[in-house]
Amino acid sequence: MYRKLFVLFNFALVAVLGYALWRSSHPMWMVYQRNYYNMAANAMEKQAAEAKDAKEAAKFRKQAEKLRHTPLQIKQILTVFGGVDRCTTCHVAMDEFVNPTMKNDFTQQPYAAHPLVDGMDLNKTHSFQKYGCTVCHQGQGMATTAKDAHGFVDNWQKPLLKGKYIEAACARCHANFEHAKGMRFVALGKKLFYKHGCQGCHSINGVGQTVSVDLGNIADKPLERIEPYNFSLIRINGKPLPKSQWTLQNWIFAHVASDPESFVVNDPLAKYNPQPIAPSGMVNWTADDAAGHRELSEQDAQAITTFLLSLTHEQIPYQYHVAGVGPMPDPDPHFSNPVAHGKYVFEKYGCAACHGLLGTKGRRNFNALGPGQVPLDQYAKLSDAQKIAEMAKGREPTLTQVVGTYDRQELANKISNGVPETAVARYNPDGPMPPLYMPAWEKRGLQGKELDDLATWLLTIGQSNQSQGGF
Amino acid sequence: MPDIEDLKKEVVNSQLWRSIFRGGAWSDTPRDRANHMIGNVWLHIQPTKVRKRALEWTYTWGLGGLSFFLFLVLVATGVLLMFYYRPVPGLAFRDIKDLTYAVTLGKFLRNIHRWAAQAMVLIVILHMLRVFLTGSYKRPREFNWCVGVILLTLTLFLSFTGYLLPWDQLALWAVTVGTNMAGATPFLGNAGPFGTSLMHMQMNNDIRFVLLGGTTVGANTLVRFYVLHCVAVPLLLGVLIILHFWRVRKDGFSAAPYGDVTEPKIDTWPNLIKRQYIAAAACLLVLMVWALLVNAPLDVIANPHATPNPEKAPWYFVGLQEMLVYFDPWIAGVMVPNLIIVGLMAVPFIDPSPKGVGRYAFRERPFANTMFLLGIIMWFCFIFMGEFCRGPNFVWYWPWQSWLLQKPVPPPTWNLFGPSGVGKFPLLMGVPALGLPVLAIMFLPKLIQKNLSLVKATLACFAGFVALALALRYGAHVPLSQGAWIVFFGTFVAFFGVLIPQRHIRGLDWARYLVTMVLVVCTMGLLVKICARLAFNVKYLVTIPSVFLNI
Repeated sequence: MYRKLFVLFNFALVAVLGYALWRSSHPMWMVYQRNYYNMAANAMEKQAAEAKDAKEAAKFRKQAEKLRHTPLQIKQILTVFGGVDRCTTCHVAMDEFVNPTMKNDFTQQPYAAHPLVDGMDLNKTHSFQKYGCTVCHQGQGMATTAKDAHGFVDNWQKPLLKGKYIEAACARCHANFEHAKGMRFVALGKKLFYKHGCQGCHSINGVGQTVSVDLGNIADKPLERIEPYNFSLIRINGKPLPKSQWTLQNWIFAHVASDPESFVVNDPLAKYNPQPIAPSGMVNWTADDAAGHRELSEQDAQAITTFLLSLTHEQIPYQYHVAGVGPMPDPDPHFSNPVAHGKYVFEKYGCAACHGLLGTKGRRNFNALGPGQVPLDQYAKLSDAQKIAEMAKGREPTLTQVVGTYDRQELANKISNGVPETAVARYNPDGPMPPLYMPAWEKRGLQGKELDDLATWLLTIGQSNQSQGGF
Repeated sequence: MPDIEDLKKEVVNSQLWRSIFRGGAWSDTPRDRANHMIGNVWLHIQPTKVRKRALEWTYTWGLGGLSFFLFLVLVATGVLLMFYYRPVPGLAFRDIKDLTYAVTLGKFLRNIHRWAAQAMVLIVILHMLRVFLTGSYKRPREFNWCVGVILLTLTLFLSFTGYLLPWDQLALWAVTVGTNMAGATPFLGNAGPFGTSLMHMQMNNDIRFVLLGGTTVGANTLVRFYVLHCVAVPLLLGVLIILHFWRVRKDGFSAAPYGDVTEPKIDTWPNLIKRQYIAAAACLLVLMVWALLVNAPLDVIANPHATPNPEKAPWYFVGLQEMLVYFDPWIAGVMVPNLIIVGLMAVPFIDPSPKGVGRYAFRERPFANTMFLLGIIMWFCFIFMGEFCRGPNFVWYWPWQSWLLQKPVPPPTWNLFGPSGVGKFPLLMGVPALGLPVLAIMFLPKLIQKNLSLVKATLACFAGFVALALALRYGAHVPLSQGAWIVFFGTFVAFFGVLIPQRHIRGLDWARYLVTMVLVVCTMGLLVKICARLAFNVKYLVTIPSVFLNI
């Protein structure tokens, strides 16, 4: 019996080792590479058939033959940033040494050549051999299988940026990109970010307010910091995200394109923590309001996401940072009209974050006072879901409605001194601290003429004879 | 056509063959076979003849040989991996990626290395179990058993040091958990009892610092662990393996004879060697197929600023990590493992009975086998609890529960005796209140010098605890579910802690009896504390913070 086992096991060992070797030496990239060479050779032969000059035809045929017999190999680009990108192993058309023109007629990936971006041949300005691929596209450059390389796998946190999202990578090096070609989407995102007052709560590298977290390196946020529980609650267009899509990009996008209260629910009723914790202070910016108006389209939300994905503290050597084209935006434009200046100040400091565009729509402030909340004695009898709904009716003041109850001096005092987060009146005294509060703007630079003109403008927007609210 | 046997003879008797394998012309006599063993440097470590029982698969299960074979596999694959690996934080992770994606057979080799390491830990533990159950640690093998215990410890340490090398999140945080336990060592760690107060241990001079080469896991740690993993520990392990083998051979090889009976022996070549070859080949085959099917884990690159939740130690230490829930780190991470090691080494010296050597003889040594199996089962139970029943924040999640489920905040814990406890004066009240039952368990078995009926006594204890649970239910409104815990653990401790020792070791001399009972009481205390925590949410039974006594 042992003799038979001896033969059997030896045979099996050699067979398994052979199979392992075979598998190791027949990866999928070889198929892609061979296909590419054949396709390129076919195209070359077609050119040869169409050529009028026999000598030229022979030249094409020779090239085709050479392509067909190119040995297969892992290609890699050692980038100037110290990375290793093996993407051209499959995407052969983007290897300058194989395809010097960097153009071809193939439409299918991984065979297609790099497309023009806004009519620009990017290889001319950003030599792929020098910069590699992942610096713009992200993904796992070292991997040699499609799935791992594209990076939508468990052990990679920066998967491919697809479509317009790639512009986020452009903005990591290009400053002042508002007028740059090929960066309109990220420029739109930046514009929307400031127009809708995001900086009123989120600073970027210290510029902006500190009601919530600084977003200066939001693109570097490790996924360990995000609870899988929260990812599992995200619904985009009503659909949950598959696990491979639990990415930072979708995390940011969900904050703009859906109601963060639905997935950063936290613990308003203190069921899981000793202290109640309010849900995210943001709202769904892409939802219709009562009047059927929506602040942001889905594309706008994507643009803002793109802008945020450009905010990284990754070390990019200074020589690769590029100033943009066109005029720098004026940091302190001159206004002759105090009302126009006041409106500008309102936007500059991000007041829209809480008070809505031009102060027309006070946003949700969980567990603050708000219109339509049931009295507290009835509140106690409600179900958990109803309690949360009542607390969610808390609102920041809608300035157009409440500004009439203030005189100029009161307004200036309120803006200068703010309402500290602990002093925001709560609807349910045992509920969580409302997430939004009025910063003390005097300490944050809003004073003097800016304050005067802001008050002037505010006093013009109040609706006459209305004094509801005052929450 | 030439006969295959003739051909073989021709080859074996050729000058070339005979120059390599010593001895004259091969005629397959007993002398030839013996010479073959003696004349070969690799084979001569084994005797020329072995007892027939040593060859039975169901006796040794080939576990000792497989442990060594896995060590060889690990050395071979490890050396190959070293060609591609640089122990520098920026490069280490990248080199593993290279192995995975660009090196021929790189992923395969890494998979084999990873899985062989896990298998070696498991098989070494099983080997110890086999040796214990067959009484093979008894005279004259006491010393070799101790060497074996050290080998087991080194195997765990070897595996643990290898854990850091891929430099991914899994590595960084598993090693953080492991080395933080070292920081809780009494006297030598800055977080351990008397560490700072007596020994002036700080973050930057204690034993954890020595292990890490810094205050956190960093570049120095990687180099340290690399050198330990690739040079120091394998060297030490190799030296001790030689010692272990030499003693195995000198102490009469496997399957010790029953008493004085001299059993017939048969030739090692080819009887034992062919079995060893088959075992090794089968093991390698399983490993290779496994390595083809399951990839070794590789998490995202290590990031000291982002802690995964939960962070877990390597599986073989997860049992100790689970102990951290119930005990202070210096007990869970230092005292428990050390007590296990010391206890294991003490085994041959506290078990003087010459019975049950060289076979699975449960009836001849019921106490030793019961207690040892209990320990092994507990060890794996704790591993199971830590590995499969702990989710985010190390909160209890059943294996079938999704970690996406949110768990309510656990009720606050309380102390039985202590400054902030329910009962004050821990020294005056707590120590006697807990010490008396401990002393009772310690001494009762030897003081009751008569034969008790195990069944009746167990039932009596059971009835007593049921009565206690009912009394608590109606006297103090303790729910019956908690009463059930009392009944189960009370009966369990009474059975294994008192009745079994009373039945089997009351005749032992005092010295051996006391050492044995210390180990038994520690084991039972562990269970009592776990019961107190899980069922009653007790943080400490007694706490005297001034001397770091928190139990």
